[in-house]
Amino acid sequence: MAKEITLAELQTMAKRSGLQLTDKDLEKLLPGVNRSYNHIFELRRLITDRTEPAAAFVASRTEKR
Amino acid sequence: MTPTELSYLSITEASSGLRRKEFSPVELAQACLKRIESFDGNLHSFITVTADLALEQARKAEQELRAGTDRGPLHGIPIALKDLYATKGIRTTCHSAVLQDWLPDHDATTVTKLREAGTILLGKLGMHEFAFGGPSVDAPFPAVRNPWNTAHIPGGSSSGSGAALAAGLSLGSLGSDTGGSIRTPSSHCGVVGMKPTYGRVSRCGVVPLSWSLDHAGPMARSVEDCAILLQAIAGYDPNDPASANVPVPDFRAELKNGIKSLRVGVPRANWFNENRGTDPETEGLFNDALRTLESLGAIVVEIDGQPFSLARKANQTILVAEAYAYHEKRFQEAPEKFGSSVRRRMLEGAFLSAAGYITALRARTVLNEDIRANFSRVDVFATPTAPRPPEAFETIDPNEQNLRPSFTNPFNLTGLPAISFPCGFTKDNLPVGVQIVAQPFEESTAFRVAYAYEQGTEWHKRRPKL
Repeated sequence: MAKEITLAELQTMAKRSGLQLTDKDLEKLLPGVNRSYNHIFELRRLITDRTEPAAAFVASRTEKR
Repeated sequence: MTPTELSYLSITEASSGLRRKEFSPVELAQACLKRIESFDGNLHSFITVTADLALEQARKAEQELRAGTDRGPLHGIPIALKDLYATKGIRTTCHSAVLQDWLPDHDATTVTKLREAGTILLGKLGMHEFAFGGPSVDAPFPAVRNPWNTAHIPGGSSSGSGAALAAGLSLGSLGSDTGGSIRTPSSHCGVVGMKPTYGRVSRCGVVPLSWSLDHAGPMARSVEDCAILLQAIAGYDPNDPASANVPVPDFRAELKNGIKSLRVGVPRANWFNENRGTDPETEGLFNDALRTLESLGAIVVEIDGQPFSLARKANQTILVAEAYAYHEKRFQEAPEKFGSSVRRRMLEGAFLSAAGYITALRARTVLNEDIRANFSRVDVFATPTAPRPPEAFETIDPNEQNLRPSFTNPFNLTGLPAISFPCGFTKDNLPVGVQIVAQPFEESTAFRVAYAYEQGTEWHKRRPKL
Protein backbone atom coordinates (compact mmCIF):
# COMPACT_ATOMS: atom_id res chain seq x y z
CA MET A 1 0.00 0.00 0.00
CA ALA A 2 1.12 3.56 -0.77
CA LYS A 3 1.34 6.07 2.09
CA GLU A 4 -2.11 7.63 2.63
CA ILE A 5 -2.48 11.30 1.73
CA THR A 6 -4.06 13.35 4.52
CA LEU A 7 -6.61 16.13 4.19
CA ALA A 8 -3.99 18.68 5.26
CA GLU A 9 -1.62 17.49 2.51
CA LEU A 10 -4.43 17.66 -0.01
CA GLN A 11 -5.23 21.24 1.05
CA THR A 12 -1.61 22.24 0.39
CA MET A 13 -1.54 20.45 -2.95
CA ALA A 14 -4.81 22.10 -4.04
CA LYS A 15 -3.44 25.54 -3.17
CA ARG A 16 -0.23 24.88 -5.13
CA SER A 17 -2.34 23.76 -8.10
CA GLY A 18 -4.23 27.07 -8.08
CA LEU A 19 -7.51 25.39 -7.11
CA GLN A 20 -10.04 27.15 -4.89
CA LEU A 21 -11.73 24.17 -3.24
CA THR A 22 -13.61 24.01 0.04
CA ASP A 23 -12.66 21.53 2.77
CA LYS A 24 -15.91 19.71 1.97
CA ASP A 25 -14.84 19.36 -1.69
CA LEU A 26 -11.44 18.08 -0.62
CA GLU A 27 -12.92 15.57 1.82
CA LYS A 28 -14.98 14.13 -1.03
CA LEU A 29 -11.87 13.98 -3.23
CA LEU A 30 -9.61 12.31 -0.70
CA PRO A 31 -10.69 8.65 -1.21
CA GLY A 32 -10.29 8.95 -4.99
CA VAL A 33 -6.86 10.59 -4.68
CA ASN A 34 -5.67 7.85 -2.36
CA ARG A 35 -7.07 5.22 -4.71
CA SER A 36 -5.08 6.79 -7.57
CA TYR A 37 -1.90 6.71 -5.48
CA ASN A 38 -2.47 3.05 -4.73
CA HIS A 39 -3.00 2.34 -8.43
CA ILE A 40 0.39 3.86 -9.23
CA PHE A 41 1.99 1.89 -6.40
CA GLU A 42 0.59 -1.34 -7.89
CA LEU A 43 1.49 -0.41 -11.47
CA ARG A 44 5.12 0.20 -10.47
CA ARG A 45 5.45 -3.54 -9.79
CA LEU A 46 4.82 -4.25 -13.48
CA ILE A 47 7.63 -2.19 -14.92
CA THR A 48 11.38 -2.60 -15.10
CA ASP A 49 14.12 -0.05 -15.73
CA ARG A 50 13.91 -0.95 -19.40
CA THR A 51 10.18 -0.24 -19.76
CA GLU A 52 9.48 2.87 -21.81
CA PRO A 53 6.16 4.76 -21.70
CA ALA A 54 3.55 3.82 -24.28
CA ALA A 55 3.90 7.15 -26.04
CA ALA A 56 6.34 7.94 -28.76
CA PHE A 57 7.82 11.20 -29.94
CA VAL A 58 8.46 10.96 -33.65
CA ALA A 59 11.00 13.33 -35.10
CA SER A 60 9.83 14.30 -38.56
CA ARG A 61 11.45 16.39 -41.25
CA THR A 62 9.80 19.43 -42.74
CA GLU A 63 10.07 19.16 -46.48
CA LYS A 64 11.55 22.19 -48.29
CA ARG A 65 9.16 23.89 -50.69
CA MET B 1 -46.27 1.74 -42.04
CA THR B 2 -46.94 3.47 -38.71
CA PRO B 3 -44.43 6.01 -37.36
CA THR B 4 -43.37 3.41 -34.77
CA GLU B 5 -42.75 0.75 -37.42
CA LEU B 6 -40.81 3.26 -39.53
CA SER B 7 -38.62 4.53 -36.73
CA TYR B 8 -37.79 1.00 -35.54
CA LEU B 9 -36.59 -0.11 -38.99
CA SER B 10 -32.94 -1.08 -39.20
CA ILE B 11 -30.76 1.13 -41.39
CA THR B 12 -30.57 -1.73 -43.89
CA GLU B 13 -34.36 -2.11 -44.00
CA ALA B 14 -34.96 1.64 -44.20
CA SER B 15 -32.39 1.99 -46.97
CA SER B 16 -34.15 -0.70 -49.03
CA GLY B 17 -37.59 0.80 -48.32
CA LEU B 18 -36.45 4.24 -49.48
CA ARG B 19 -35.16 2.84 -52.73
CA ARG B 20 -38.34 0.84 -53.30
CA LYS B 21 -40.23 4.11 -52.66
CA GLU B 22 -42.32 2.47 -49.90
CA PHE B 23 -41.81 5.71 -47.93
CA SER B 24 -39.79 8.86 -48.39
CA PRO B 25 -36.87 10.33 -46.38
CA VAL B 26 -39.27 13.07 -45.20
CA GLU B 27 -41.77 10.48 -43.89
CA LEU B 28 -38.95 8.61 -42.16
CA ALA B 29 -37.60 11.79 -40.52
CA GLN B 30 -41.13 12.86 -39.53
CA ALA B 31 -41.73 9.45 -37.90
CA CYS B 32 -38.61 9.85 -35.75
CA LEU B 33 -39.44 13.47 -34.86
CA LYS B 34 -42.96 12.43 -33.87
CA ARG B 35 -41.62 9.74 -31.54
CA ILE B 36 -39.10 12.19 -30.05
CA GLU B 37 -41.98 14.56 -29.35
CA SER B 38 -44.12 11.77 -27.85
CA PHE B 39 -41.56 9.96 -25.70
CA ASP B 40 -38.45 12.03 -25.08
CA GLY B 41 -40.10 14.12 -22.40
CA ASN B 42 -39.62 11.13 -20.08
CA LEU B 43 -36.33 9.85 -21.47
CA HIS B 44 -34.36 13.12 -21.95
CA SER B 45 -32.16 11.48 -24.55
CA PHE B 46 -32.00 14.66 -26.67
CA ILE B 47 -30.47 17.97 -25.58
CA THR B 48 -31.16 19.67 -28.90
CA VAL B 49 -33.66 18.53 -31.55
CA THR B 50 -32.83 19.91 -35.00
CA ALA B 51 -36.27 19.33 -36.52
CA ASP B 52 -36.09 22.07 -39.17
CA LEU B 53 -32.63 20.99 -40.32
CA ALA B 54 -33.71 17.34 -40.37
CA LEU B 55 -36.71 18.06 -42.59
CA GLU B 56 -34.62 20.27 -44.89
CA GLN B 57 -31.99 17.52 -45.23
CA ALA B 58 -34.73 14.92 -45.76
CA ARG B 59 -36.29 16.96 -48.56
CA LYS B 60 -32.86 17.27 -50.20
CA ALA B 61 -32.27 13.51 -49.89
CA GLU B 62 -35.70 12.89 -51.40
CA GLN B 63 -34.91 15.09 -54.39
CA GLU B 64 -31.49 13.49 -54.87
CA LEU B 65 -32.77 9.93 -54.69
CA ARG B 66 -35.60 10.79 -57.09
CA ALA B 67 -33.04 12.27 -59.49
CA GLY B 68 -30.93 9.11 -59.31
CA THR B 69 -28.15 10.49 -57.08
CA ASP B 70 -27.54 7.74 -54.55
CA ARG B 71 -24.97 8.42 -51.83
CA GLY B 72 -25.14 4.88 -50.43
CA PRO B 73 -26.88 3.03 -47.60
CA LEU B 74 -27.04 6.03 -45.25
CA HIS B 75 -28.69 8.34 -47.77
CA GLY B 76 -31.93 9.59 -46.17
CA ILE B 77 -31.30 7.84 -42.83
CA PRO B 78 -32.08 9.81 -39.64
CA ILE B 79 -29.33 9.78 -37.04
CA ALA B 80 -28.42 11.65 -33.85
CA LEU B 81 -25.06 12.53 -32.33
CA LYS B 82 -23.64 12.49 -28.82
CA ASP B 83 -23.36 16.13 -27.84
CA LEU B 84 -19.57 16.23 -27.92
CA TYR B 85 -19.32 16.01 -31.71
CA ALA B 86 -18.74 19.56 -32.97
CA THR B 87 -21.56 20.59 -35.30
CA LYS B 88 -21.14 23.88 -37.14
CA GLY B 89 -23.72 26.41 -35.95
CA ILE B 90 -25.51 23.83 -33.78
CA ARG B 91 -25.15 24.03 -30.01
CA THR B 92 -22.62 21.48 -28.74
CA THR B 93 -22.78 21.35 -24.95
CA CYS B 94 -21.03 18.19 -23.71
CA HIS B 95 -24.03 18.15 -21.32
CA SER B 96 -22.26 20.84 -19.29
CA ALA B 97 -22.90 24.36 -18.03
CA VAL B 98 -19.33 25.07 -19.17
CA LEU B 99 -20.26 24.77 -22.85
CA GLN B 100 -24.03 25.22 -22.77
CA ASP B 101 -23.97 28.08 -25.28
CA TRP B 102 -21.12 26.89 -27.52
CA LEU B 103 -21.84 27.14 -31.24
CA PRO B 104 -18.89 25.50 -33.03
CA ASP B 105 -17.57 27.12 -36.21
CA HIS B 106 -16.66 23.73 -37.65
CA ASP B 107 -17.94 20.18 -38.01
CA ALA B 108 -16.10 17.15 -36.62
CA THR B 109 -14.55 15.11 -39.44
CA THR B 110 -17.02 12.31 -38.69
CA VAL B 111 -19.94 14.73 -38.86
CA THR B 112 -18.78 15.91 -42.29
CA LYS B 113 -18.48 12.31 -43.45
CA LEU B 114 -21.97 11.43 -42.25
CA ARG B 115 -23.42 14.52 -43.91
CA GLU B 116 -21.69 13.64 -47.17
CA ALA B 117 -23.14 10.12 -46.86
CA GLY B 118 -26.60 11.72 -46.92
CA THR B 119 -27.68 11.21 -43.31
CA ILE B 120 -30.40 13.33 -41.72
CA LEU B 121 -29.42 14.95 -38.40
CA LEU B 122 -32.24 14.72 -35.84
CA GLY B 123 -30.28 16.40 -33.06
CA LYS B 124 -27.70 16.19 -30.31
CA LEU B 125 -27.86 13.68 -27.50
CA GLY B 126 -27.44 13.76 -23.74
CA MET B 127 -24.42 12.16 -22.11
CA HIS B 128 -22.42 12.11 -18.91
CA GLU B 129 -20.96 15.59 -18.53
CA PHE B 130 -17.77 15.79 -20.60
CA ALA B 131 -18.11 12.01 -21.08
CA PHE B 132 -17.00 11.30 -17.51
CA GLY B 133 -18.33 10.68 -14.01
CA GLY B 134 -21.88 9.44 -13.75
CA PRO B 135 -25.39 10.53 -14.72
CA SER B 136 -25.39 14.32 -14.76
CA VAL B 137 -28.00 15.03 -12.10
CA ASP B 138 -26.90 18.64 -11.48
CA ALA B 139 -26.11 19.69 -15.06
CA PRO B 140 -28.27 22.21 -16.95
CA PHE B 141 -29.93 19.33 -18.82
CA PRO B 142 -31.68 16.38 -17.16
CA ALA B 143 -29.99 12.99 -16.90
CA VAL B 144 -30.95 10.50 -19.62
CA ARG B 145 -33.27 7.65 -18.53
CA ASN B 146 -33.26 4.01 -19.62
CA PRO B 147 -36.20 3.24 -21.97
CA TRP B 148 -36.45 -0.30 -20.53
CA ASN B 149 -37.20 1.16 -17.11
CA THR B 150 -36.91 4.90 -16.58
CA ALA B 151 -36.02 4.38 -12.91
CA HIS B 152 -32.74 2.91 -14.14
CA ILE B 153 -29.62 4.44 -15.68
CA PRO B 154 -29.01 3.93 -19.40
CA GLY B 155 -25.26 3.61 -18.85
CA GLY B 156 -22.72 6.14 -20.00
CA SER B 157 -21.25 8.16 -21.10
CA SER B 158 -23.07 7.91 -24.47
CA SER B 159 -26.36 7.66 -22.58
CA GLY B 160 -28.54 9.53 -25.06
CA SER B 161 -27.28 7.41 -27.94
CA GLY B 162 -28.23 4.17 -26.19
CA ALA B 163 -31.60 5.47 -25.02
CA ALA B 164 -32.60 7.08 -28.34
CA LEU B 165 -31.83 3.90 -30.27
CA ALA B 166 -33.64 1.60 -27.85
CA ALA B 167 -36.68 3.89 -27.84
CA GLY B 168 -36.85 4.04 -31.64
CA LEU B 169 -36.15 7.76 -31.78
CA SER B 170 -33.23 7.44 -34.21
CA LEU B 171 -31.90 4.76 -36.56
CA GLY B 172 -28.22 5.29 -35.83
CA SER B 173 -25.90 7.28 -33.63
CA LEU B 174 -22.29 8.11 -32.84
CA GLY B 175 -20.91 7.75 -29.34
CA SER B 176 -17.43 8.06 -27.90
CA ASP B 177 -15.54 5.65 -25.67
CA THR B 178 -12.65 6.37 -23.27
CA GLY B 179 -13.30 3.62 -20.74
CA GLY B 180 -16.46 1.95 -22.03
CA SER B 181 -18.72 4.84 -22.99
CA ILE B 182 -20.02 3.30 -26.23
CA ARG B 183 -20.19 -0.28 -24.99
CA THR B 184 -21.78 0.24 -21.56
CA PRO B 185 -24.86 2.18 -22.75
CA SER B 186 -25.16 -0.29 -25.63
CA SER B 187 -25.28 -3.11 -23.09
CA HIS B 188 -27.63 -1.31 -20.69
CA CYS B 189 -30.04 -0.25 -23.45
CA GLY B 190 -30.02 -3.49 -25.49
CA VAL B 191 -28.39 -2.07 -28.63
CA VAL B 192 -25.11 -2.60 -30.51
CA GLY B 193 -22.01 -0.43 -30.13
CA MET B 194 -18.57 -0.70 -31.70
CA LYS B 195 -15.45 0.90 -30.24
CA PRO B 196 -13.11 0.65 -33.21
CA THR B 197 -9.32 0.31 -33.10
CA TYR B 198 -7.56 3.43 -31.81
CA GLY B 199 -6.77 5.48 -34.92
CA ARG B 200 -9.47 3.93 -37.12
CA VAL B 201 -11.93 6.83 -36.76
CA SER B 202 -10.94 10.49 -36.59
CA ARG B 203 -11.26 12.26 -33.24
CA CYS B 204 -10.93 15.65 -34.93
CA GLY B 205 -13.81 17.82 -33.69
CA VAL B 206 -14.75 15.44 -30.88
CA VAL B 207 -14.31 17.25 -27.55
CA PRO B 208 -11.54 15.29 -25.81
CA LEU B 209 -11.72 13.51 -22.50
CA SER B 210 -8.35 11.73 -22.68
CA TRP B 211 -6.40 12.04 -25.92
CA SER B 212 -4.64 8.69 -25.76
CA LEU B 213 -7.77 6.71 -24.76
CA ASP B 214 -10.59 8.44 -26.69
CA HIS B 215 -12.29 6.51 -29.48
CA ALA B 216 -15.16 7.67 -31.69
CA GLY B 217 -17.54 5.00 -32.93
CA PRO B 218 -21.02 3.94 -34.04
CA MET B 219 -24.07 2.70 -32.16
CA ALA B 220 -27.15 1.16 -33.76
CA ARG B 221 -29.82 -1.49 -33.28
CA SER B 222 -28.11 -4.20 -35.31
CA VAL B 223 -24.60 -5.40 -36.06
CA GLU B 224 -24.95 -4.73 -39.78
CA ASP B 225 -26.12 -1.17 -39.09
CA CYS B 226 -23.04 -0.58 -36.94
CA ALA B 227 -20.86 -1.87 -39.78
CA ILE B 228 -22.57 0.52 -42.21
CA LEU B 229 -22.01 3.50 -39.90
CA LEU B 230 -18.37 2.56 -39.26
CA GLN B 231 -17.81 2.27 -43.02
CA ALA B 232 -18.93 5.88 -43.42
CA ILE B 233 -16.76 7.36 -40.67
CA ALA B 234 -13.58 5.24 -40.79
CA GLY B 235 -10.39 6.29 -42.53
CA TYR B 236 -7.24 8.37 -42.27
CA ASP B 237 -7.61 12.00 -41.26
CA PRO B 238 -4.49 14.21 -41.37
CA ASN B 239 -6.24 16.54 -38.90
CA ASP B 240 -6.11 13.89 -36.18
CA PRO B 241 -2.52 13.21 -34.99
CA ALA B 242 -3.55 9.72 -33.83
CA SER B 243 -5.28 8.78 -37.08
CA ALA B 244 -3.93 5.58 -38.62
CA ASN B 245 -3.13 5.59 -42.30
CA VAL B 246 -4.27 2.02 -42.93
CA PRO B 247 -6.69 0.61 -45.52
CA VAL B 248 -10.38 0.46 -44.58
CA PRO B 249 -11.90 -2.90 -45.53
CA ASP B 250 -15.52 -3.49 -46.50
CA PHE B 251 -16.87 -4.17 -42.99
CA ARG B 252 -19.93 -6.00 -44.32
CA ALA B 253 -17.99 -8.31 -46.64
CA GLU B 254 -17.23 -10.93 -43.95
CA LEU B 255 -20.43 -10.65 -41.93
CA LYS B 256 -21.95 -13.87 -43.21
CA ASN B 257 -18.77 -15.98 -43.17
CA GLY B 258 -19.65 -17.70 -39.89
CA ILE B 259 -17.44 -18.53 -36.92
CA LYS B 260 -16.62 -22.20 -37.40
CA SER B 261 -13.36 -23.07 -35.55
CA LEU B 262 -12.93 -19.48 -34.34
CA ARG B 263 -11.16 -19.55 -30.94
CA VAL B 264 -12.86 -17.40 -28.31
CA GLY B 265 -10.69 -16.58 -25.28
CA VAL B 266 -12.50 -15.96 -21.98
CA PRO B 267 -10.24 -14.20 -19.42
CA ARG B 268 -12.37 -15.32 -16.48
CA ALA B 269 -9.78 -16.42 -13.91
CA ASN B 270 -8.37 -13.59 -11.76
CA TRP B 271 -10.75 -11.06 -13.28
CA PHE B 272 -14.47 -11.88 -13.30
CA ASN B 273 -14.51 -12.42 -9.51
CA GLU B 274 -12.41 -9.33 -8.65
CA ASN B 275 -13.66 -7.60 -5.44
CA ARG B 276 -17.47 -7.81 -5.53
CA GLY B 277 -17.21 -9.78 -8.74
CA THR B 278 -19.65 -10.10 -11.61
CA ASP B 279 -23.39 -10.17 -10.96
CA PRO B 280 -24.41 -13.87 -11.14
CA GLU B 281 -27.37 -13.25 -13.46
CA THR B 282 -25.11 -11.30 -15.85
CA GLU B 283 -22.46 -14.03 -15.81
CA GLY B 284 -25.17 -16.65 -16.38
CA LEU B 285 -26.42 -14.84 -19.50
CA PHE B 286 -22.82 -14.44 -20.66
CA ASN B 287 -22.24 -18.19 -20.23
CA ASP B 288 -25.42 -18.84 -22.26
CA ALA B 289 -23.97 -16.61 -24.99
CA LEU B 290 -20.75 -18.64 -24.99
CA ARG B 291 -22.78 -21.83 -25.42
CA THR B 292 -24.58 -20.23 -28.38
CA LEU B 293 -21.22 -19.29 -29.93
CA GLU B 294 -20.06 -22.91 -29.42
CA SER B 295 -23.22 -24.17 -31.10
CA LEU B 296 -22.30 -21.97 -34.07
CA GLY B 297 -18.89 -23.64 -34.34
CA ALA B 298 -16.65 -21.50 -32.11
CA ILE B 299 -14.17 -23.03 -29.67
CA VAL B 300 -14.20 -21.45 -26.20
CA VAL B 301 -10.85 -21.32 -24.38
CA GLU B 302 -10.35 -20.05 -20.81
CA ILE B 303 -7.37 -17.68 -20.45
CA ASP B 304 -5.77 -15.78 -17.53
CA GLY B 305 -7.55 -12.52 -16.71
CA GLN B 306 -4.80 -11.01 -14.52
CA PRO B 307 -3.40 -8.47 -17.05
CA PHE B 308 -6.95 -7.46 -18.02
CA SER B 309 -7.72 -6.79 -14.37
CA LEU B 310 -4.66 -4.58 -13.90
CA ALA B 311 -5.41 -2.60 -17.05
CA ARG B 312 -8.21 -0.67 -15.33
CA LYS B 313 -5.72 0.89 -12.90
CA ALA B 314 -3.51 2.18 -15.72
CA ASN B 315 -6.51 3.29 -17.78
CA GLN B 316 -8.00 5.32 -14.93
CA THR B 317 -4.70 6.94 -14.01
CA ILE B 318 -4.04 8.04 -17.59
CA LEU B 319 -7.65 9.14 -18.03
CA VAL B 320 -7.86 11.43 -14.99
CA ALA B 321 -4.42 12.92 -15.69
CA GLU B 322 -5.22 13.76 -19.32
CA ALA B 323 -8.78 14.89 -18.54
CA TYR B 324 -7.59 17.26 -15.83
CA ALA B 325 -4.80 18.59 -18.05
CA TYR B 326 -7.40 19.45 -20.71
CA HIS B 327 -9.74 21.20 -18.23
CA GLU B 328 -7.16 22.62 -15.79
CA LYS B 329 -7.69 26.28 -16.64
CA ARG B 330 -11.48 25.91 -16.36
CA PHE B 331 -11.15 24.21 -12.97
CA GLN B 332 -8.86 26.98 -11.71
CA GLU B 333 -11.21 29.71 -12.92
CA ALA B 334 -14.70 28.34 -12.23
CA PRO B 335 -14.83 24.85 -10.69
CA GLU B 336 -18.47 25.41 -9.73
CA LYS B 337 -19.47 25.25 -13.40
CA PHE B 338 -18.74 21.52 -13.44
CA GLY B 339 -21.31 19.10 -12.04
CA SER B 340 -20.47 17.30 -8.82
CA SER B 341 -19.85 13.90 -10.38
CA VAL B 342 -17.39 15.01 -13.06
CA ARG B 343 -15.73 17.48 -10.68
CA ARG B 344 -15.03 14.79 -8.11
CA ARG B 345 -13.56 12.37 -10.66
CA MET B 346 -11.58 14.79 -12.82
CA LEU B 347 -9.99 16.62 -9.92
CA GLU B 348 -8.24 13.39 -8.96
CA GLY B 349 -5.99 14.21 -11.90
CA ALA B 350 -4.89 17.47 -10.27
CA PHE B 351 -3.11 15.54 -7.53
CA LEU B 352 -1.23 13.03 -9.66
CA SER B 353 2.46 13.63 -10.15
CA ALA B 354 4.05 13.65 -13.59
CA ALA B 355 6.00 10.56 -12.49
CA GLY B 356 2.73 8.81 -11.57
CA TYR B 357 1.30 9.51 -15.02
CA ILE B 358 4.47 8.23 -16.69
CA THR B 359 4.38 5.11 -14.51
CA ALA B 360 0.88 4.41 -15.86
CA LEU B 361 2.13 4.91 -19.43
CA ARG B 362 5.00 2.49 -18.78
CA ALA B 363 2.57 -0.04 -17.30
CA ARG B 364 0.50 0.45 -20.45
CA THR B 365 3.46 -0.84 -22.49
CA VAL B 366 3.68 -4.00 -20.37
CA LEU B 367 -0.07 -4.66 -20.18
CA ASN B 368 -0.50 -4.06 -23.87
CA GLU B 369 2.09 -6.75 -24.59
CA ASP B 370 0.66 -9.17 -22.01
CA ILE B 371 -2.92 -8.82 -23.24
CA ARG B 372 -2.07 -9.03 -26.93
CA ALA B 373 0.14 -12.08 -26.33
CA ASN B 374 -3.10 -14.06 -25.87
CA PHE B 375 -3.82 -13.63 -29.56
CA SER B 376 -1.18 -16.27 -30.26
CA ARG B 377 -3.73 -18.86 -29.12
CA VAL B 378 -7.16 -17.25 -29.50
CA ASP B 379 -8.78 -15.15 -32.24
CA VAL B 380 -11.01 -12.96 -30.08
CA PHE B 381 -11.74 -12.30 -26.41
CA ALA B 382 -15.24 -12.50 -24.93
CA THR B 383 -16.48 -10.91 -21.71
CA PRO B 384 -19.73 -9.57 -20.36
CA THR B 385 -19.83 -5.88 -21.38
CA ALA B 386 -20.78 -4.62 -17.93
CA PRO B 387 -20.32 -6.44 -14.61
CA ARG B 388 -23.93 -5.87 -13.58
CA PRO B 389 -27.26 -4.78 -15.11
CA PRO B 390 -28.16 -1.07 -15.12
CA GLU B 391 -28.57 0.28 -11.59
CA ALA B 392 -31.56 2.27 -10.40
CA PHE B 393 -30.91 6.03 -10.12
CA GLU B 394 -31.93 5.87 -6.48
CA THR B 395 -29.30 3.35 -5.50
CA ILE B 396 -26.29 4.61 -7.47
CA ASP B 397 -23.10 4.27 -5.48
CA PRO B 398 -20.24 6.26 -7.10
CA ASN B 399 -17.68 3.87 -5.60
CA GLU B 400 -19.43 0.74 -6.85
CA GLN B 401 -17.71 0.77 -10.23
CA ASN B 402 -14.31 0.51 -8.55
CA LEU B 403 -15.45 -2.55 -6.64
CA ARG B 404 -16.40 -4.61 -9.65
CA PRO B 405 -14.30 -5.64 -12.66
CA SER B 406 -14.26 -3.21 -15.58
CA PHE B 407 -14.62 -5.30 -18.72
CA THR B 408 -14.31 -2.31 -21.02
CA ASN B 409 -11.27 -0.32 -19.74
CA PRO B 410 -8.56 -2.74 -20.95
CA PHE B 411 -9.53 -2.24 -24.56
CA ASN B 412 -9.17 1.53 -24.39
CA LEU B 413 -5.73 1.04 -22.89
CA THR B 414 -4.78 -1.40 -25.65
CA GLY B 415 -6.75 0.30 -28.43
CA LEU B 416 -8.26 -3.03 -29.51
CA PRO B 417 -11.59 -3.03 -31.40
CA ALA B 418 -14.48 -4.16 -29.19
CA ILE B 419 -18.18 -4.59 -29.88
CA SER B 420 -21.08 -4.95 -27.46
CA PHE B 421 -24.35 -6.57 -28.47
CA PRO B 422 -27.41 -7.85 -26.57
CA CYS B 423 -27.22 -11.35 -25.08
CA GLY B 424 -30.34 -11.46 -22.94
CA PHE B 425 -32.47 -9.85 -20.27
CA THR B 426 -32.57 -10.09 -16.50
CA LYS B 427 -35.63 -11.28 -14.61
CA ASP B 428 -36.48 -7.57 -14.21
CA ASN B 429 -36.44 -7.18 -18.01
CA LEU B 430 -33.21 -5.14 -18.15
CA PRO B 431 -30.83 -5.77 -21.06
CA VAL B 432 -27.43 -7.42 -20.72
CA GLY B 433 -24.67 -7.26 -23.33
CA VAL B 434 -21.71 -9.38 -24.35
CA GLN B 435 -18.43 -7.96 -25.61
CA ILE B 436 -16.19 -9.39 -28.34
CA VAL B 437 -12.67 -8.00 -28.77
CA ALA B 438 -10.47 -8.55 -31.83
CA GLN B 439 -6.92 -7.81 -32.95
CA PRO B 440 -6.02 -4.25 -34.04
CA PHE B 441 -7.82 -3.18 -37.23
CA GLU B 442 -9.80 -6.45 -37.32
CA GLU B 443 -13.20 -4.90 -36.64
CA SER B 444 -14.51 -7.21 -39.37
CA THR B 445 -13.78 -10.23 -37.16
CA ALA B 446 -15.66 -8.72 -34.21
CA PHE B 447 -18.58 -7.85 -36.51
CA ARG B 448 -18.58 -11.41 -37.89
CA VAL B 449 -18.86 -12.98 -34.42
CA ALA B 450 -21.55 -10.51 -33.34
CA TYR B 451 -23.52 -11.02 -36.55
CA ALA B 452 -23.40 -14.82 -36.28
CA TYR B 453 -24.68 -14.59 -32.69
CA GLU B 454 -27.35 -12.04 -33.60
CA GLN B 455 -28.69 -14.18 -36.46
CA GLY B 456 -28.96 -17.14 -34.08
CA THR B 457 -30.87 -15.22 -31.39
CA GLU B 458 -33.84 -12.87 -30.98
CA TRP B 459 -32.65 -10.47 -28.26
CA HIS B 460 -32.05 -7.59 -30.66
CA LYS B 461 -35.68 -7.71 -31.78
CA ARG B 462 -37.15 -6.91 -28.33
CA ARG B 463 -38.51 -3.39 -27.83
CA PRO B 464 -39.14 -1.51 -24.58
CA LYS B 465 -42.72 -0.57 -23.67
CA LEU B 466 -42.79 3.23 -23.50
